Formats: sequence, C-alpha cells, structure tokens
Amino acid sequence: MSLVHILFALILLLAVAVGMIRIHFGPTAADRMMAAQLFGTCGVAILLLLAWGLNTPVLLDIALVFALLAALTTMTFVRRAW
Amino acid sequence: MDFLDKIGIFLITLGLPFFLSGTVGLLRFPDIYTRLHALTKADNVGLGLIILGLAFQADSWLIVARLLLIWLLVLIASSASCHLVASRAMQNKIKPWSSP
Amino acid sequence: MADNNTTRQSPLVRRVLRRFLFLALIWLVLCGSEQASWILGLPAVLIAVLISLMLAPYSEFSFSFSGLCSFIPFFLRQSSLSGFDVMRRALAVQPDINPGLVPYTTFLPQGAPRIFFVNTISLLPGTLSAELHGNEVTVHTIDKDLAIWATIQNLELRIAYLFRIGPPVEVKK
Repeated sequence: MSLVHILFALILLLAVAVGMIRIHFGPTAADRMMAAQLFGTCGVAILLLLAWGLNTPVLLDIALVFALLAALTTMTFVRRAW
Repeated sequence: MDFLDKIGIFLITLGLPFFLSGTVGLLRFPDIYTRLHALTKADNVGLGLIILGLAFQADSWLIVARLLLIWLLVLIASSASCHLVASRAMQNKIKPWSSP
Repeated sequence: MADNNTTRQSPLVRRVLRRFLFLALIWLVLCGSEQASWILGLPAVLIAVLISLMLAPYSEFSFSFSGLCSFIPFFLRQSSLSGFDVMRRALAVQPDINPGLVPYTTFLPQGAPRIFFVNTISLLPGTLSAELHGNEVTVHTIDKDLAIWATIQNLELRIAYLFRIGPPVEVKK
C-alpha cells in the first residue's frame, strides 16, 4: 500500500509546483503569498501521506508543526510586509 | 482490515481532485478574492478527505485524534489567513474583479 | 461542560479545572500514551493554564453541547459543498464566476461569536468575508446569483445557538 501513498504525495507535489507559477505572475505580493499558502495546506497533506508511505510516524508531528506555522506566516505577512 | 484500507485509499483518491482544482483556480481566476475562494475551499475539502482516508488506515485512536487536530488547525489557519489577506486587500483598495 | 453555566463568571476552581482538562487532553493527543512525556507535559499544561488565565480570565460565552452537535454536520456538509462548487467553477471551460460584494449586518456580539462567524463565512459555498467593521461584514461572493444571504443567516443563527445567544429581536435599533 505504501507505494500508492508516495504516488499521491508526488501528485500533490506537482500541484504545488504548478501553483508556483502564480509567484511569477503576481501581480500583487498577496498573490505570491497565496502560492505559499497553497504549499502550507498541500505540504501538510504531503507529509501525512509520506508518514504512511514511508512508515515514518514522526512525519505526523512535523505536519502538525507545519499547520501551526502556516497560520503564523500569513499573519506575519499581512501585518508586517504588505 | 484490508477492507478499511481500501476505503481509505478511495477517500484519499477522492481528495486529490480538490487539491488540483485549488491549484487550477489559483492560476485561472482573475483577482485576489476569487483566488482566495479557490485556495481556501478546495484545499480544505481535499485535506479533509485525505485525513479521513488516512484515519481509516490508522492503527490507533490516538493517531486518529492527532489527524483530527491537524485538520482543525489547518481549518482555523486557512480561514483566518483568508480573511486577513482579503481584508488587507480591501484596505489597500484593490478592486474586486467583476464580470464585464 | 454540558450543564447550564449561564452565569457570567463561573468560580475560579471550575475554570481552572476545565482548562486544565482541555489542555491535558491536547497533550495526550500530541504525545500519546507514553507516560514519561508527562514529566514535561504536566508543567507545560500548568503554565498554559496560567497564561490562559492571564490572557482571558473569564470565558464570556459558553458552548451549548446540542448546538455543537447540530453545527458539526451542518459545517461538514456546507464546506464540502463549497469545495465542489469551487471545483466546478475552476474547471469550467470559461471560469464560471460573477463576483461581487455584499454587505451584511450581524447581530452576533463582539468577541468569540463574531470572530467565529467571520472565519466560517469563508468556508461556506461561494462566500468569503472580506471586511469587518463593527458589526458590518462585507462578504465577497463568487457568484452574485447565489442565495448567499440565506446561507449566511442560517450560519449566523446556528452560531448564536452554539454560543447560547438569544434571538436578535431586541438588538436591532
């Protein structure tokens, strides 16, 4: 079963990579930031899938930290940078 | 056990199109606000389905609880940051796109 | 938790106990059943209780358990509908959108209920809370033809029920 999980994780990684095109076109800083937000949610999903695919439960905790940091990055961005 | 595994895989597969359409929306929609719609909603449903699918494959209830906690955190994070970005865009007088 | 604490300030012991149990539960979820983790966990939970008492000494609103039970299915259903809705619009040959801004006045009081309201709007089908000034919420909708007013009002009433807030009749001037 683990190969399926890794395959799914790769598909999600592709979704993030394609979303990064938005960073190139912008036009505002917030549009670029949204690509980072996309990476936040997809990143959590990728880590969770890898936790099962590679049989590494520690990745679950990393996903948790990712989820926490995703909120902080956007808040900092909105308050300080834009 | 095997049956639960299959349900899990099915749910995860169901979640992928949402993530992909979130990306598509982010690229195709015309302004910040509509892109936020795509990003927040599609991705949350996608993550919800993946987490539900993984919960079916989890060995213990503790793992299920941890997955739920992650999902709740992401929900709170993405809805809060969605509102923050949108209200900041309004403050910066960015006009919402409207159909001609 | 389920009994009626409609009084504004429940006794300190009760508040501390409730917060302690809540945070200890989170620690349990985070660290699993490993007993050694409580060497660090117990002080962490106690410090967290202390900080929460310093930041928010009183819990101004209480949850209604039945309100929560009816809110969760409602929310799950609505947010999955919103996912489908956005997917359909994004994948259409010509992106199927007709966005606009809609003002909405809420009767929910300031604090947790209003913030909860504003944040959940963004997860409902076709709506996104763009601005909040006092009790005026500016909602961005992805399609002006959607019946978003009904959806938002439905959400508002459910949140009022969730936080045990009375009906809006007297609040309107």
